[in-house]
Amino acid sequence: MDVLTRNNVRESGRGLRAIVFAHGFGCDQNMWRFVAPEFESDFKVILFDHVGAGGSDLSAYDKTKYSTLDGYADDLVEIGSELGLKDAVFVGHSVSSMIGILASLKAPELFGRLVLVGPSARYIDDSDYIGGFSAKQIAELLEFLEDNHMGWSAAMAPSIMGNPERPELAEELTNSFCRTDPEIAKTFARVTFTSDNRGDLSKVTIPTLILQCSEDIIASEEVGKFVHNSIPGSEIVFLKATGHCPNLSAPAEVVSAIKAYV
Amino acid sequence: MSELGPIDEYQDLFENAPCGYLTIGPDGRISKVNATLEAWTGFSADKLIGQRLHQFLNMAGRIYFETHIAPLLRMQGFFNEFALDFETAAGQRLPVIANAAERRNSDGTVLFTALVLIKATDRRRYERELINSRSELRKGLAIERETAELREQFIAVLGHDLRNPLAAISAGARILQRSGTLQDDKELRVLDMMNTTVTRMSGLIDNILDFARGRLGDGITLSRDANRPLQPVLEQVVDELRTASPDRSIETSFAIMEPVNCDRSRVGQLASNLIGNALTHGAAYQAVRVGAKTEDGVFELWVANAGEPIPAIAMGKLFEPFFRGDIRSSRQGLGLGLHIASQIAQAHGGRIDVTSTPDETRFVFRMPLQSN
Repeated sequence: MDVLTRNNVRESGRGLRAIVFAHGFGCDQNMWRFVAPEFESDFKVILFDHVGAGGSDLSAYDKTKYSTLDGYADDLVEIGSELGLKDAVFVGHSVSSMIGILASLKAPELFGRLVLVGPSARYIDDSDYIGGFSAKQIAELLEFLEDNHMGWSAAMAPSIMGNPERPELAEELTNSFCRTDPEIAKTFARVTFTSDNRGDLSKVTIPTLILQCSEDIIASEEVGKFVHNSIPGSEIVFLKATGHCPNLSAPAEVVSAIKAYV
Repeated sequence: MSELGPIDEYQDLFENAPCGYLTIGPDGRISKVNATLEAWTGFSADKLIGQRLHQFLNMAGRIYFETHIAPLLRMQGFFNEFALDFETAAGQRLPVIANAAERRNSDGTVLFTALVLIKATDRRRYERELINSRSELRKGLAIERETAELREQFIAVLGHDLRNPLAAISAGARILQRSGTLQDDKELRVLDMMNTTVTRMSGLIDNILDFARGRLGDGITLSRDANRPLQPVLEQVVDELRTASPDRSIETSFAIMEPVNCDRSRVGQLASNLIGNALTHGAAYQAVRVGAKTEDGVFELWVANAGEPIPAIAMGKLFEPFFRGDIRSSRQGLGLGLHIASQIAQAHGGRIDVTSTPDETRFVFRMPLQSN
């Protein structure tokens, strides 16, 4: 299968050096809509959707493959080799921070810089480690996700997914963005919130920047500092932006922090 | 209520509406709530205002708000029909359905975000029951499918394994017959009976295997051959059945003048099943009549017997698998013969029709001479 179609890869920009933006749990490449365009004058900008999200090919969704972050990292490596990426900048939001780290360990030539936005190496508390969540709370989240269909209707899905050029088909649905099959959303949530990549952090040798938000309940300051302290030579920048999605709530701050680093 | 002025009415509509109102300022903190929401949550306005909304949600709601609702509001300016769970002052869960919309000024900066919250305890419980029953059904269906497949595989293996011992009995009987050691009439009759039983049983096993194959998805497979004659195959089938039922009479009239593009052994099996059925159910003292002809581009094979007509109630079920008429148990089969016959007919693009009167019961198989 064509990797670029599978992951709905979009290329833009005029630079020689590539910058790859990877979205986290909850949405798709639209998460970068206020950030990515700012890099088009200096970079080749690459956006993509993880399989199961956004405009990716849902028929490529394999529950076994995507039951670990490795499956997503393999896709990222495939995208990189398909595009011939070398020494690119990788910007990962949330869980994609870890996906980017895993991909960089699999294919060291791919990325020359990592920017991790709101990263967490483990979400569930573990003795001395504070991830921010208990196992029970994550179990509740998985159940709760079924209560929100996110504008997804099994009957409507095929017509929307099959006809992206006919947006009127989707008009009667509530949301234009972030539509996800609830089953896939649930599996992705499980992979995300039960992942534990603490052991991988020390293996990272690429220059790494961590962007830490304030008042982020998904990835707290403590969690961000843990990532910073575990990745040798990494830098951390504390943003004024609050919440977990500074790429939407404070794009200018995110853009300038990334530009200052790369 | 009648003494309320128009402005008071608006005020009252906001405060005491049958839904909760809440606004969030550009700093992400709650700026207004109405009295209804205060009552539902058990938190007074001064406890709510200035705080972040997620502080009043359960953990799942908090994660969902951060990962879905906040991004969507920023991207499309609204998010409708989402579920949230509040945690009340008393520690109770308050399930709501909510709509949210951003208000921006002309330069696009966010003024505030308005939320409307509808209490949805019953609705959410009902939806939860639907989700649970769907997953129960899925589990049940998966188990059923597995069981059915196992059962059909078992039938296939059973049918296959029964063939070998039967072949051994058949070979043994042949050796005895050829050796000429058996002279006594009674002994020879036993040998005949053995041959009869072997023929009948291999017919039953063929049906079992065909049935299992059909169910396992392969269906009836045909190897058609229009160039080879069909009539000798039919004659052989009749001979075998005559041998198997020496006290019964089978009359034939064959007029196959044109090539028939069929799987000859399958049509032989169909004929065998129909004639076997006539021998079982027909009157013992009258002949079973078998005919075949080609006419007007159609091949026709018919089998007729005398005796009691088929009861009206049974007519619709004759071709269903495992259907067995009311007959003496010693002659009972599996109830697969007519089912397999009709499957063979369908595979040839043909069909079997049946008429049954006090004078005669007649099965007629018709198929086009040439397949399309």
